[in-house]
Amino acid sequence: MISIIDYNAGNIASVTNVLKRLACDYIITSNPDEIRKADKIIFPGVGRAKPAMEELKKRSLIKVVQNAKQPFLGICLGLQLLADFSEEDSTKCLGIIPEAIKRFSNNLKVPQIGWNKVSFTKSSPLTDGIPDNEYFYFVNSYYMPINEFTVGETKYGISFSSVIQKDNFYATQFHPEKSGKIGEKIIRNFIEKC
Amino acid sequence: MLIIPAIDIMGGQCVRLTQGKFSTKKVYNTDPLKVAKQFEKEGAEMLHIVDLDGAKKGKMINRDLIIQIQKSINIPVQTGGGIRSIQDIETCIKSGIERVIVGTKALEDINFLKEIIQRYGTDRIVVGIDIKNGKVAINGWQRETTKDYLDFAAILKGLGVVNVVVTDIARDGTLISPNFELGKNLTDMGFKVIVAGGVSNLSDIRTLESTGVQGAIIGKAIYEKKINLRDISRPRRRNIPADKGARGFASSGNPSTLTKRIIPCMDIANGRTVKGVNFKNLKDAGDPVKLGKFYSDQGADELIFLDITATIENRPTFYKLVRRIAENINIPFTVGGGIRTLDDINALLKNGADKVSICSIAVQNPEFIRQASQKFGNQCIVVSVDAKRVNNRWEVFIKGGRENTKNDAVKFAKQMEEIGAGELLINSLDRDGTKTGYDIDLLRAIAENVNLPIIASSGAGKKEDFLEAFIKGKVDAALAASLFHYGELSIPDLKNYLISNNIQIRP
Repeated sequence: MISIIDYNAGNIASVTNVLKRLACDYIITSNPDEIRKADKIIFPGVGRAKPAMEELKKRSLIKVVQNAKQPFLGICLGLQLLADFSEEDSTKCLGIIPEAIKRFSNNLKVPQIGWNKVSFTKSSPLTDGIPDNEYFYFVNSYYMPINEFTVGETKYGISFSSVIQKDNFYATQFHPEKSGKIGEKIIRNFIEKC
Repeated sequence: MLIIPAIDIMGGQCVRLTQGKFSTKKVYNTDPLKVAKQFEKEGAEMLHIVDLDGAKKGKMINRDLIIQIQKSINIPVQTGGGIRSIQDIETCIKSGIERVIVGTKALEDINFLKEIIQRYGTDRIVVGIDIKNGKVAINGWQRETTKDYLDFAAILKGLGVVNVVVTDIARDGTLISPNFELGKNLTDMGFKVIVAGGVSNLSDIRTLESTGVQGAIIGKAIYEKKINLRDISRPRRRNIPADKGARGFASSGNPSTLTKRIIPCMDIANGRTVKGVNFKNLKDAGDPVKLGKFYSDQGADELIFLDITATIENRPTFYKLVRRIAENINIPFTVGGGIRTLDDINALLKNGADKVSICSIAVQNPEFIRQASQKFGNQCIVVSVDAKRVNNRWEVFIKGGRENTKNDAVKFAKQMEEIGAGELLINSLDRDGTKTGYDIDLLRAIAENVNLPIIASSGAGKKEDFLEAFIKGKVDAALAASLFHYGELSIPDLKNYLISNNIQIRP
């Protein structure tokens, strides 16, 4: 059973739609026990970092996420919140990845909206069988810089982390649930290989 | 063309040399970090940071400082000077330095060059070719070799090198115009060339641009205030008038792999697709889900569904449809038509829409866009602008084009950006349904004045229209309806055409 963390941060429907298509059992929950007991956890997220962190705090989920031992998949904002800190409203985040989230340069159109390439710099079960330089769908104004946990990177003015992995924590900056067949493969990898 | 300010570091300070002679050192600032931030603020799209101590010593001396600079700014950095070891390259690249420049080591050790290209790719490894009297110089320009630069370039070509930085040492730091021929010759060989040395004024930049080089590194001319970076950066800051003479140089070299998007748009009434559609492989083109899936399989990058009836009675039908689309289609889609309240948006997003397109209410009550953006995030708020040329400008119309609000469309677009729109969909009432091409002037006027993604709409009649919208109209996405629906142009054909014209497109 996969627990999808419900913390009032955006469009969960698109994630559940993919899981339905893949015939995978899931629950949407903000109950700490249900999350602790899950086989796997999905941590989606659209919106701003600060209200999202406040919501996690209100639901007593910060420690639950930090202490998760099962395979964990962060998506979009769900990747950024894994960092120590986000420039967005100067928000203290979960501190799982020792990195600070930055805003794209004003020289670029922000948000980045659309399909961009991911090139893989390390192997990970999450990206198993996905060819280099495939396109995925991104919508983001902030990014995680390249660091030792970067698995895939993408260029938007600067190269940034588009896929990361630290132990059981996996995350993508793009929306696999909106990235066509290749995106579904990422979710399937998470279900089957992580 | 990419404009790249240079920061040369010696003894931790920001300096310039003349013709590469260490004796000519002039300190411009004691704090290179401050200089980098200033360049970023002034609109630089990339920085060129040279470790002069490193170049002299043959190993990186200021590596940590350069990484620290890179970490404190949001634009890419390329660095060079004394880079001779895999470990230095590894450290730089892993810390987020965009491109690493090797010069001496590339010339002396071809196998090394082969290995780092293999390991880090041709995007990240740049070869620095420093030239004195047509011959390659090495060791921080202290040593001339007998290698002709074109011979060296031919070797690099054979190794698959793509990016080079070429410097005419005799010109460097002299402000007497660059050696245009070097850049041109290397460009003609198929390299992506960045020219350094001697770039002194706007006219140099224009001439360089005409030779087809990818970028120019500018050092002394900026420090000596011969060139104002703000004049040549993209017009992103609101306090700079859009019609400022010398601008736009820095836009096309932008190192991004984000693609342009092709978006079919479907009009919906009572849950069905309007307009007769006829495709061989599609049984029920009246079903928006089947039609949407058809386009998605063909390679559409996004879909838009507009409820053209948009009456309150029809809402539940439309919501049900949105839910079915979300369940069956795995690419992003936008919905619109008659959105007037936050509850409308909430219902559409809850049913699985990725974005909503808002039209009339944005003009009547701009505050609504602020509220919507705050509540749902600006990434899902698309403002749709219906514009029509009136005298010498474009004015915003509402109610399906029946009512002129007398608002200036460009000003309105800027206002929407400030207030929280995430994307703009620009319709031209003059071109709608004419198939005479998008209104390029309108699109460009808006694209140059706002920093948001722009979707072009109205007027597409042939594939060339899309190319023009992307290149001249400077838009990020292009929408069409009947052109696709009637099978006059297929998405795969359109995409192949755009790819063959060097537009970044998801195949």
